[in-house]
Amino acid sequence: MEFPAALFPSYFGAGSHLEERGPAPAAGWGEHGQVLEASPGRRQAEMAFMPRRGGMGESWKPADAAAVPLLPPSASSWIPSLVPQDILYHGVLHRKLQAGKSRVTLDFTKQLGHFFVDHPEDAFGSLGQLLHQNFYLGDSKLRRQARDSTIRMTALVEEINRLKARRGCPRQRLVPRLRWFSHLCRDWLFEVPLGLLADCVHKELLVQWAGLLFDDSPTGGALAWLSPEDVGAQMGCLVYPGGQAMNHLYFQDVVLEELPRARPSLTQFELNGRIRQVAAAQADGEDFVGVRSDYHCGVWRVPSRMSAAPTPLQVIHTNVPASCLTVSPHLPGELAICTQSGAVYLWSIETGLQRLRHDPQTMFFRDHSPWRWSDFTAHPRVLSCADRTGMQCLDARAPERCHFDLFKVGEEAGCQQGERVVLPMYLGRAHPSQHLITTQFSVYVVDERLPMVPMLKWPHMMKAPPLLAHLTPGGAGRSHKVVLGASLTQELLLLQYQGGSQSACQLVGPPQKLHSIAGCLQHLPTQLPHHHHLLQQRLCAPAAGLATALQKNGSHESLLVFQLSETGDVFCQRLIHEAVLTHEAAQSHAPTSGDEAVAAPGSSPLFETPAHSPLGLGNAVLRYHRWLKELSKGWGEHPRHNWPPTFSQKRLFTRKELETPMGPSTLHQQARQWLRHAMWEGGCIQCWDTSASKFCPLPPTMEPTAGLDSLSARLTASWTGDWCQWWEERSSFNMAQRQRALRERRRRQKRVRGRCSLSASFTSSLTYQSELSELSDTAPLPPPLSPTVLPREAGSSPQPSPVPDEALLSSQSLRCRGIPKERRKTLRDYLSVCADGPLEPQEPLESQASQACIPLAQSLSLSQALLS
Amino acid sequence: SSHEHRLNFKKSKEVCLNYVQDAMLQKQWKRAAEFLTFYIESLEKDFSRECIGPSEMIWRIGTEILYRHSHSSMKEFSSFIEQMKTLGVKRYLKVCLEHAFHLLCNGLIDEAYQNLSLAESWQFGEQTAIQDKEMKLIQAYRGLLDYYSWSKQKNILLEHGLDGFEDLPAEQEMHHCFRKAAVNLKEIIKIPGVWDLFVKCYVDLLEFYGDRNEAHQVLSEYAYNSKFPANPNAHVYLYQFLKRHGESKKSLISVLKILHDIVPSHELMIDFNTMLQKSKKRKKRRLGLEVIFAALDYAGWKENVKAWNCMARQVKQIVISKKHLDWIKQEWNSRKDWWPAFHFSRYLAKRNWQGNESLSYEKALVAGILLGKDSKYFKYVSHQGCKAQVKRFRILKKFVNKHNPV
Repeated sequence: MEFPAALFPSYFGAGSHLEERGPAPAAGWGEHGQVLEASPGRRQAEMAFMPRRGGMGESWKPADAAAVPLLPPSASSWIPSLVPQDILYHGVLHRKLQAGKSRVTLDFTKQLGHFFVDHPEDAFGSLGQLLHQNFYLGDSKLRRQARDSTIRMTALVEEINRLKARRGCPRQRLVPRLRWFSHLCRDWLFEVPLGLLADCVHKELLVQWAGLLFDDSPTGGALAWLSPEDVGAQMGCLVYPGGQAMNHLYFQDVVLEELPRARPSLTQFELNGRIRQVAAAQADGEDFVGVRSDYHCGVWRVPSRMSAAPTPLQVIHTNVPASCLTVSPHLPGELAICTQSGAVYLWSIETGLQRLRHDPQTMFFRDHSPWRWSDFTAHPRVLSCADRTGMQCLDARAPERCHFDLFKVGEEAGCQQGERVVLPMYLGRAHPSQHLITTQFSVYVVDERLPMVPMLKWPHMMKAPPLLAHLTPGGAGRSHKVVLGASLTQELLLLQYQGGSQSACQLVGPPQKLHSIAGCLQHLPTQLPHHHHLLQQRLCAPAAGLATALQKNGSHESLLVFQLSETGDVFCQRLIHEAVLTHEAAQSHAPTSGDEAVAAPGSSPLFETPAHSPLGLGNAVLRYHRWLKELSKGWGEHPRHNWPPTFSQKRLFTRKELETPMGPSTLHQQARQWLRHAMWEGGCIQCWDTSASKFCPLPPTMEPTAGLDSLSARLTASWTGDWCQWWEERSSFNMAQRQRALRERRRRQKRVRGRCSLSASFTSSLTYQSELSELSDTAPLPPPLSPTVLPREAGSSPQPSPVPDEALLSSQSLRCRGIPKERRKTLRDYLSVCADGPLEPQEPLESQASQACIPLAQSLSLSQALLS
Repeated sequence: SSHEHRLNFKKSKEVCLNYVQDAMLQKQWKRAAEFLTFYIESLEKDFSRECIGPSEMIWRIGTEILYRHSHSSMKEFSSFIEQMKTLGVKRYLKVCLEHAFHLLCNGLIDEAYQNLSLAESWQFGEQTAIQDKEMKLIQAYRGLLDYYSWSKQKNILLEHGLDGFEDLPAEQEMHHCFRKAAVNLKEIIKIPGVWDLFVKCYVDLLEFYGDRNEAHQVLSEYAYNSKFPANPNAHVYLYQFLKRHGESKKSLISVLKILHDIVPSHELMIDFNTMLQKSKKRKKRRLGLEVIFAALDYAGWKENVKAWNCMARQVKQIVISKKHLDWIKQEWNSRKDWWPAFHFSRYLAKRNWQGNESLSYEKALVAGILLGKDSKYFKYVSHQGCKAQVKRFRILKKFVNKHNPV
């Protein structure tokens, strides 16, 4: 392990006097930083200097105009994550506050209201039961004797509904009746003391808001690439989370071709928590994959030979959310864990957990963030341990005594005010003693042998802090490639650096922006506005993982960059290495080759322009078409999934009000006059309620429901964009009719035969099913589009067909009806078939491969493994 | 409406800057340059109070484009930089320094020297702390260039000196260069920092003029002043200096001992170990064993034949002499739970055997002594060695079978 004979000059100041700069848009450009004599060995020859930043670097050119989907979109509907609109107050008040440049307002009342509506039992349980006889909710008048002990609540409910409808009205007046009621009941109506509940809700809102401002849970990323031992192998395994709650872990074999292709073999594990991080490292010829969810961490072993199944090894449970999990590159089955309580553990599969540190305080100065990180270093027994203020190294053999500071946010590293560590990463594969540290402003390379002084520093100018990073080490004389990724903005930045042993560390070549997932949006064919919106929402989801793979094919080298989004989509892009000579030749032929490939806004080179490599491009287009088709199928199943709830007209008026005869009366005219007057003045109508009951009802809203003639149905379908699907449905409509007729016939036959004998009913139900299945086999099934087999959620779509009454099918009710135990199952099957219809979705293939993993309690003693 | 206008102007400025950045990050330098020409308009109404104002951004972005653009020439670059120097007073020194760096990297040493001298004479009001630092750096780099011209003249004179020819003016010129270099270099190395290049040059100057004490003092100050970072190179320079001047083994060992304490994985640890092994004192030999064990703890040494050779030699010596077996035991105790998996696994045995036979030989010897003849590593390698009929592996097997594991 050589140390550079001379380092770049730099000042070393201690202290906390930091420069106040903030994010600077162009801070990373135009500086060499320092220079150093390039070849100190030969004095006689011509003097040559090398810059700390600058130099040519390697040229990596993107092969396609956008990132290409690697896998078909997971059919499971993605639960959209929290957006500011969900918890912020918006309305008139908000607009007023914004105009005054005030801070954001959390919509506390709405959240509290949600609680009362969603959990009425918890909120009002016992008092509701006590009082329900005394509250009357009907329309009719109360009888005289009941009036003594009962209150009629209808008017109150009406008032509340009206209040809802008028929400946001600046001249909204509090209705005295509501005031009176709330004053009366506030102290005793609620099960949970209101003050306490409000406190909790408020705290939770603040936590959620902090998470929206900066969410550090995906730090490290949930995507890993396992490459086999022999370099020539054009294969690898991608490990990533998926499923509706991102709680399924997939091991997907991928073949590296012109465009990487997923092989049909897929191993899947179901976990009982959202997967936050997937970390992997190779030790002793085997890959170890660590998986972190909030309260569980697990480790899998993947044997080096391909197509060997990964085996789960151990799981631990933590009481406090874990913030970091890293896998040792030195010793097999060793991992480092940090929890948000400030504890750092060394986790060995053989010997269990060893706590190295437990300190809720941050290391160098006070910072409120509970985030901690730990990674391995050049010494297998020494772990790095980081929080937002810096990084230390701890010796696991004597963690209290033996530790040293490796990096500190301060003057030593020339940090700015407010700068915080975002992601540390051990760069052992490039150089055994180097670490990467990213902050929201800069990226640093530090060397364990010279702590506190960064070997490299560069302001990365990214819009969001880089939470993801991946290293591709370069061989002898080559530069190491680091890809930085931001979660929220999906930015990807490729940096190159070299040195560390013979020569000092240098940043070479200009930084390069890679395609983000959302970047493909401009290249896609024009969509209908609402489809475009859905597509945009899907593609702009925050990034959740990053991995790169180096592919060598003779003298050709390419770098594959995989990107995972929070929706579980995996996209991939290829960068082709251009050797220096050819690069220069190309430049002499066609000057500024980079400038020619500029896309005019609106054009879509991915789909329209003739390709410079037709094969690759054609493939990419095909991938996109398949992906879009798969995705649009999902849209049909979830109509208006993300639309905000709206109040229907019916709520504004009671049935009685709607029943009043129509016709312009004096009151109507008066109301119209008021309206016109109010509009003229631009004001509000103030005394409205006196005449509210005399309004004419609005015509019922048009809803595209059944009962339309086929032309209208077709037009409606083509307007919503799923005309193809409508046609398929239509063509299968006759099929369904025939099935219904058949079912009806069988039912009639059965009713006749049912009384004959027991055995007959068995055979009949059997034949019935087989007939149906024959029929369903003939139904036009879409041919499999790609060789990959991805789990598809079977029952996630709302079924319009009648669902069998659960109560009817429960064994209790069947027993009540005197049906003997041995026949209950037959009956239940029969009924469910009747109700569901024959077009049962196929048994998802995932079940063959899936193994429940987290309840692995027998494989380790949890009590021993409990973290604090 | 003036407020609105200002807002719009700000917005379009930001958009323009985004375009520039985007183009640069995609290596479209020509496009970036075109956008930058529009951005220059923003200088007209510079209302910003941000730390990096438009003028600095134009300097940074323009410089970067001119570095990277295939059609830019040094002349264009210099004229651009000259304009930038006049654009901001606060940034003048920084721009000069960066300009000099660029000239140096392109081999234009004389131009860089002129530039630095010019910058050195610049004065404007009271200097801020940052400007002070920049000024010191400018002086130091100028000192460095003075040192290089001194060294050039020295070489010429030495050649001529052999011919018996004396050139008084040239010699005076050389001494003049020395004085200029020494003053500036001496100045910067007083300030805490990493000054490897400057210290080396300064020490070279002092050594040439025979000021050994001063050189020694400078080097010890650089290595041992606690205000300086724990730079391993400082200790290396001191060690090399002492070795050059034939200092005693004792003082060399004490320098290396400190280096061992700071960076146990330094490459000089091999020399240190060899030096200690040769020593007659028990304590030193003991330290030698510690040093080599500690070095091999690090992942960077895993496949270093030299280090394993040192280790094997010393361990073998101890086993044969049957004295101080407890030293090995003590070192081994703290490592026995992880060294087998880290160094002596079957997978590594296979890989080492295929990759480097002599490495696997040395490691097998150590594994045999530390873990016994049943260790996976030893078993695999000795088996393969015997199969391939390599003599030393047969001897190795015999040796390990004869001596009990520690």
